[in-house]
Amino acid sequence: MESAGDLSYMENGESNKSLMGKETCNNNGGVIRTAQNRSSSFMRKKSDPMLVSTVRFQMLRQFLANLQQVILGTKLAVFFPAIPLAIAADCYEFGRPWIFALSLLGLTPLAERVSFLTEQIAYYTGPAVGGLLNATCGNATELIIALFALYQNKIHVLKYSLMGSVLSNLLLVLGTSLLCGGLANLKKEQRYDRKQADVNSGLLLLGLLCHMLPLMFRYAAQSSGISIAKSTLELSRASSVVMLAAYIGYIIFQLKTHRQVFDAQEDGEDEDEEKAVIGFWSGFSWLVGMTLVIALLSEYVVGTVEAASETWGISISFISIILIPIVGNAAEHAGAIIFAFKNKLDISLGVALGSATQISMFAVPLCVVVGWIMRIPMDLDFSLLETGCLALTILVVAFTLQDGTSHYMKGVVLCLCYIAISVCFFVHKVPAPLDQTIVNSELNSA
Amino acid sequence: MASLQEPWLLENGNLKGCSKEIRHGRTAHNMSSSSLRKKSDLTLVSKVRFVMLRQFLTNLQEVILGTKLSVLFPAIPLAIAAECYGFGRPWIFALSLLGLTPLAERVSFLTEQIAYYTGATVGGLLNATCGNATELIIAIFALSQNKIDVVKYSLLGSVLSNLLLVLGTSLFCGGIANLRREQKYDRRQADVNSLLLLLALLCHSLPLLFRMSGASAALTADPTLQLSRASSIVMLIAYISYLVFQLFTHRQLFEAQEESEDGDGISEEEPVIGFWSGFIWLVGMTAVISLLSEYVVETIEDASDSWGISVSFISIILLPIVGNAAEHAGAIIFAFKNKLDISLGVALGSATQISMFVVPLCIVVAWIMGIKMDLNFNLLETGSLALSIIAVAFTLQDGTSHYMKGLVLLLLYIVIGACFFVSKMPLSNGGIDTIVGV
Repeated sequence: MESAGDLSYMENGESNKSLMGKETCNNNGGVIRTAQNRSSSFMRKKSDPMLVSTVRFQMLRQFLANLQQVILGTKLAVFFPAIPLAIAADCYEFGRPWIFALSLLGLTPLAERVSFLTEQIAYYTGPAVGGLLNATCGNATELIIALFALYQNKIHVLKYSLMGSVLSNLLLVLGTSLLCGGLANLKKEQRYDRKQADVNSGLLLLGLLCHMLPLMFRYAAQSSGISIAKSTLELSRASSVVMLAAYIGYIIFQLKTHRQVFDAQEDGEDEDEEKAVIGFWSGFSWLVGMTLVIALLSEYVVGTVEAASETWGISISFISIILIPIVGNAAEHAGAIIFAFKNKLDISLGVALGSATQISMFAVPLCVVVGWIMRIPMDLDFSLLETGCLALTILVVAFTLQDGTSHYMKGVVLCLCYIAISVCFFVHKVPAPLDQTIVNSELNSA
Repeated sequence: MASLQEPWLLENGNLKGCSKEIRHGRTAHNMSSSSLRKKSDLTLVSKVRFVMLRQFLTNLQEVILGTKLSVLFPAIPLAIAAECYGFGRPWIFALSLLGLTPLAERVSFLTEQIAYYTGATVGGLLNATCGNATELIIAIFALSQNKIDVVKYSLLGSVLSNLLLVLGTSLFCGGIANLRREQKYDRRQADVNSLLLLLALLCHSLPLLFRMSGASAALTADPTLQLSRASSIVMLIAYISYLVFQLFTHRQLFEAQEESEDGDGISEEEPVIGFWSGFIWLVGMTAVISLLSEYVVETIEDASDSWGISVSFISIILLPIVGNAAEHAGAIIFAFKNKLDISLGVALGSATQISMFVVPLCIVVAWIMGIKMDLNFNLLETGSLALSIIAVAFTLQDGTSHYMKGLVLLLLYIVIGACFFVSKMPLSNGGIDTIVGV
């Protein structure tokens, strides 16, 4: 029993009580607890090692404790059964819309677990690499879906889903956080540090410029009759390199030189587990395994999106822009709302804005570069309606956040903007040219 | 003589009650148009013998003559006479416009008087809905005559006029008059209004972008209509939350500045007419406004033809100037006194009310009447709206003011006016071609 106690002691990190004092007086930045880590930590629950400690063999016990920590350590674990169901649906040829829906449901807990594993590995690798890991893997789900869509040459799905992710972060997550926070704190003054919001707004505006240039270029050249497809592609590729350079600059700014602007607010609560709960190599292998499962489910999602759209009668643009990002962001979304309730707006803003910046300045240009390598003509021209929505969204959000205070009316306006944009894409049933050919080939092969 | 004095004391409201300003919902609108009032001189009336007649005449004097704009009142019977005797139609148009000016101000006065009796909240609500009664009635008449373009232009022009002309002249005059003093205002009120205007801009831009990006016009007409109707409901929801925000939860942001002056007669704490008389006057004046609005909407093309000005210019520039004249004068006067919060409250509040309440309301009314009105105001108009909103949001976001800000906004308005003056595009539905050979 003692060894069991020892094990659970170490695994659960209860020894942190003695080490906590050492940690905090060493350096606050011993572990990079970015806003994203802290917000999704709300979805965790402490594992109860009682059942496991009754098992005899030490190796088995360690393995089961590890399993319990990773698989069951979140409130979203209820969605995990959707994964085998999705795989079964694919093998046994259930309806394709079912595969789509089950894969979407299965992705929700996986996204959260990847964030958890990244945080655990960060304990071992130190703050700089850990922050980098978080910055790149924070939106792993969106990135993997995008790469699969690129690989299957469904460029419009790719563009829609990435743009929808930015819109969802900027309007839905931010709007509901500000709304719930405002309603819960009606009598209190709500402040946040506007410097962080300003940096993110600046980067989003740069991203907007890089999107609008190919669009305007296309319209200008159309009227003068020059063939511009190649020039637009070259312009997009150069802009992507620029955006990636800006993102690297932002990472240096955030993690090295101006960390004080981004440090999540200190809280006196007892949820700071300073020690990792799983070992480095087990975390690493779990991470690789989960990424593989995410890749599998993403392939199902991208492969069946047209069939689902046909069966449910909803346009592909609506599914890609509204439904897929809601699923991918579910865990961060819930965390951001909870922190807003507690009047810690810096963390909610860090989650929402950080995600949006990451996708528009890292995921999108990365896809363009990967498309460049794979010789797929992906450019930054997201067509007029989507770019217009993006422009107005960034404008509204930049204006909302530039004064450093908040009240529920701001949240109401942002949520209503999101509803208006969703309605716009719901009625937008104009098929893209690429859509039609792929739908035909799917119907032919079915 | 004693009985003579008493009604005079009560009617004139010289009794200074306890400071119930806030409780009577003295919003910026009320305070600004109250600067156009003048104290009735009751010595002439007090000579009349019978009490009933005296009361009636006092009432009449208070309502009809209680404003400096009452000099324009004779235009109303002249307009009706012109319609009956078949004078030139442009004359009917011009006289109706002139007659609408004092009526709009009187309606605001009557709403404020009624608000004394109904309490602050209902009073604020009344003001929020009836504050732009003239624009609303003109729009509904144009809708019933299926002149959708006139509706769109006049509402757009009203927003532009409030944002650029009223605000610009107030900031400019206030800046010139207070050159040595610092001019501050509470930026939180301006921020909320700017945010709502940006939401309105989004809802206007989406149908436009939808139209421009989609396939043929036939394919996108129906979805655009559905999108516009859904966006209108979204805008109405936003307006209702704005009212809740303004009147219930965050009232401290919107309270008009306390009057510390004495004796310029603005802070009359008591109403000067009874509730029922106010109500009857309100109904009567609304009926007259409706009549004149009908004349205006019917004769607008003829006036445009004979004067050689495009219908869009008349709808966007001339009509709103008339409808806003009283508030405009009041906003300038308050800016002179360095009370920018009130000027801003008038201008921004009006603009927000029209773009988030009147426009979606017209779309819903058109939906009920089976008319296909959507939020697609065409590229030129939506572009002017977008740039105006961005310019105003940027101007007001720092909380101070000087005359340069007013000058820039005014010049923006002049440029937009020039743009619509030279744009002689024909109306697309229900209107007559207005291209005039020069």
